[in-house]
Amino acid sequence: MWELIQSNKRKSLILFFGMGALLILIGYVFGSFYNPESGGAVGIFFAIILWMILSTISYFAGSKILLAVSGAKEVTKDVHPQLYNVVEEMKIASGVPYFPKIYIIDDPSPNAFATGVKPENSAIAVTSGLLSTLNRYELQGVVAHEISHIVNRDILLMTFAGMMLGAITLMSEVFFRGLYFGGGSRYRSKSSSKNSGQGQIIIMILALVLAILGPILAQLFYFAISRKREYLADASAARLTRYPEGLANALEKIANSSYKLRSANKVTAPMYIVNPLKREGMKLADLTSTHPPISERIKILRALQQGVSYKDYQKVFEMIHGKKEKIIPDSALTESIPVAPIMGLANQNKSFSHVDAKREANDAVMKLNDYKFINCKCGVRIKIPPDYNQPIVVCPRCGTRHQLG
Amino acid sequence: MNCPVCKEPMIILELNKVEIDFCPNCSGIWLDEGELELLYSIDKPDNELQKLFQQTTSSKEKSYKCPICRKRMIKTQFSNTDLILDRCPQNHGIWFDKGELEKVLTIKSNSSSEKILALLKDMFSYNKSQEAE
Ligand SMILES: [Zn+2]
Ligand SMILES: [Zn+2]
Ligand SMILES: [Zn+2]
Repeated sequence: MWELIQSNKRKSLILFFGMGALLILIGYVFGSFYNPESGGAVGIFFAIILWMILSTISYFAGSKILLAVSGAKEVTKDVHPQLYNVVEEMKIASGVPYFPKIYIIDDPSPNAFATGVKPENSAIAVTSGLLSTLNRYELQGVVAHEISHIVNRDILLMTFAGMMLGAITLMSEVFFRGLYFGGGSRYRSKSSSKNSGQGQIIIMILALVLAILGPILAQLFYFAISRKREYLADASAARLTRYPEGLANALEKIANSSYKLRSANKVTAPMYIVNPLKREGMKLADLTSTHPPISERIKILRALQQGVSYKDYQKVFEMIHGKKEKIIPDSALTESIPVAPIMGLANQNKSFSHVDAKREANDAVMKLNDYKFINCKCGVRIKIPPDYNQPIVVCPRCGTRHQLG
Repeated sequence: MNCPVCKEPMIILELNKVEIDFCPNCSGIWLDEGELELLYSIDKPDNELQKLFQQTTSSKEKSYKCPICRKRMIKTQFSNTDLILDRCPQNHGIWFDKGELEKVLTIKSNSSSEKILALLKDMFSYNKSQEAE
């Protein structure tokens, strides 16, 4: 997979300079819009500064910021043992030498993402909704998909893209707000001279077009290099777990969930395993979608009946997609060992209890929020919020007085 | 979550996989809608839960605000008994006052209210024995 990692590093550089150029262009046009004489230069100056600051922040703290914006909290093994075990299994299976940090987002909508600049400081974040709706095999599929993003060095690309997308979206919002308060037109009428009039109209139109299209353009730009990555991560997950049905079921459950992810926004949306901002029947959303259609991803995974090697995935992809397109890099296709999918796990899924999964996920969120847990000898579990200020709590079932603190 | 009556933080009690929010200060009980659904989905998937509550206008009790959405709760008759409970208009859950809990513990349950009553009777068996003395 070396060539893939190299190509991803190259793409990160293209993205880095491409987004920078777009940012500078937007800076120039917006600046000129507000002040035709010197605004362009000022705009460029601020855009370059912003770009440099953002790149530095992205590299050193991008994943921390994205995790914080998503409301993710880091967890230890005792907060959610099953999640920890699944991550451990997939880490070993994938051969990554570093243990990714595990985060939980308190949100009933099931979803997950991976972030980080290097595998050493990578992180996997899942929502509590994901933990309460997926069984062990489905969770394995999702975690394997996210681990694959880490192994393939997709996370640097995603983190950079997320930060740049955020900057462009922010700039166009600031521009529109400025327009709304009438700043632009007032300055322009004062400084207008006859020969700059026509150029000013062009700048004005250009600024409006950029303000509207900039964020979409940035997203399209990202889309161009991100679509294959989702397929590839699916292929790697099928191979790692040897149980493609697990990820297929998980994707189906995520897509069918009626909850909306509260913390999702335009910036973080492309990072998730399933785009949380999808709206049905919207053509523009389809066009700028950072993910391949989920139904197609599920169809490919379910068609992996003969084997789960990269070669099998490529074959099935072409069959379902109807045209030749390289999803898997050449070096991975030469893999000769046949990897058969595991059968018969479906029976074990029946032992999955929604009540248990939901209880476990809710407990994890409470532990993250510093609740104290007391197991009374009578069988009652008492969960005490951090703002509870009484020194004792009496079990209402057996009368045991539990000392706190 | 804070108690809708005395605004103190409530503790959470879990028994047989169902959670109850309990105010140790005023002995009020909050049953979350999700928990009620859990209680009724374990073996019976039908819509038994909805049949448990009938809206009533006959009560003159003070009504409280839902601890989740802060909307004023509506008075609801519980399963053909003389129990009047507070229920969130947006279905976040139901609230039992201390007095209501005491009534619950003496009620003979019909089939659909049985689960809630059995849970509450089991959970608060110590409180009940205390009051008998
Ligand atoms: Zn006890
Ligand atoms: Zn109270
Ligand atoms: Zn409510």
